[in-house]
Amino acid sequence: MSVALEAVGFAPVGLVELPFRDGYVPSIVVVSLYVSLVAVSLSTLVSVPVAVTMGFLEFPGKSLVKSVINTGMGFPSVVVGLVVLFVVSNQGPLGSFELIFTREAMILSQFVLATPPITAISLAAITGVDDGVREAASALGGTRVDVALVVLKEARYGIATAILAGFGRAISEVGSVLIVGGNITSADGISKTRTLTTAIQLEARQGRYETAMILGAVLVVLVLTVNTIVVRLGDGNAPR
Amino acid sequence: MLRATDVTHAYDAEPVLTDVSLVVDPGEVLALIGPSGVGKTTLLRILGLSLEPTAGTVTFDRTDVWAADTARRRALRRRTGTVFQAASLFDASVARNVEYGLRVRRSWRERIRSGLRGLVGREDVSGSVHDALGVVGLPDAASRSADSLSGGEAQRVSFARALAYDPDLLLLDEPTSDLDPRNTAVVEDAVERASDRDIGVVVATHDMNQAERIADRVAVLLGDGVTEVGPTEAVFDDPHDDRTRQFIAGELVY
Repeated sequence: MSVALEAVGFAPVGLVELPFRDGYVPSIVVVSLYVSLVAVSLSTLVSVPVAVTMGFLEFPGKSLVKSVINTGMGFPSVVVGLVVLFVVSNQGPLGSFELIFTREAMILSQFVLATPPITAISLAAITGVDDGVREAASALGGTRVDVALVVLKEARYGIATAILAGFGRAISEVGSVLIVGGNITSADGISKTRTLTTAIQLEARQGRYETAMILGAVLVVLVLTVNTIVVRLGDGNAPR
Repeated sequence: MLRATDVTHAYDAEPVLTDVSLVVDPGEVLALIGPSGVGKTTLLRILGLSLEPTAGTVTFDRTDVWAADTARRRALRRRTGTVFQAASLFDASVARNVEYGLRVRRSWRERIRSGLRGLVGREDVSGSVHDALGVVGLPDAASRSADSLSGGEAQRVSFARALAYDPDLLLLDEPTSDLDPRNTAVVEDAVERASDRDIGVVVATHDMNQAERIADRVAVLLGDGVTEVGPTEAVFDDPHDDRTRQFIAGELVY
């Protein structure tokens, strides 16, 4: 990963004296994006099938599962971080993998945080699809799989919104990544587990407000860019 | 072709249909008339093989539908087409909508291949999609998106969608109740053309004039069962059953 980080490192513009060394900001951006994107991708892989299953099947305990998911949406991230910290710590069940203060541990906690909103919003989108559409797909000869595919397609904007919401939660999250990741840079000042949010927190606390501001602006631009791309993709899928 | 014998249906012990027996032959248009809430939609779903009646048998080409295994039943169900009161089009192009029935009948391999072709913009519209759109008077609508259609056009596309895979039996649930006279005329014309293609058509309608215009035979559904079935003229001009006579004369109010 460190090779990749250096490759991405674009030097800050020479005109302005920037209050940090070359490669610092890009490396933080890469860690932030890497952790959030991987976590949200994994969450999506779990959430969407769960939402589809819950949208189509009736099973005992369904409302319990639903309320667990809804509770998960508002779960305090610091507590998630704490629990993940225990799980990956030396005494924890995943201790032998030595994940503590790694990006993988951060991915794990982001995954736990992003999965409930993605599942809940996807489920709302799926159950919101008009029953007439399901009935039509089935009457036209569709199997249960065909009907599910039609419903997924009808709910695609809602599911995209769900994934965006999950990404938004992951990339702007501070508490849990600070606990399980440790906000570490290597000796040459390149981020190991430092994300935009934890960096902002640190820089602001140490009084380097310009750096904190720049990082904050980068974070906002990043979130806006990802949102725009996803919305554009959604438009592109619309029928021509 | 399709025969329902002593079909009874109840939702949670609330009887909707009692001992209904009907036959639909290829190429004939059978109108189901009766007031709202009398079980026309339930009967259509039973005739469309998507709802198992509480009692009674439904046979399609002499196969007992609900005694057959799932695969056999699906094969039979795929020979029927249903047009609902609401168009319920998929959020896609008109061509994709009309093609749907054909698409789900293809193998997954073919479907993935044509899906990939569609991604690079080489979506070809098959002949039967064009034909079906032609029948409902929308030959040039293939590339339009479903949400750009007016209500009448959407209902006509919904009709074309059920026609595209050439079913043997077509079930229409109040297909024109939300349509203006012009769109209604197009749909009625499409019904006639479907029956010319030897498709058996069942139309549930509360519009008796429409039944008189398009149907070869009429089944009158009152209360919880069929009070009279027969050739359109005979039922309208000289009904045997007293309640049917009152209903047709507009004296029976529900």
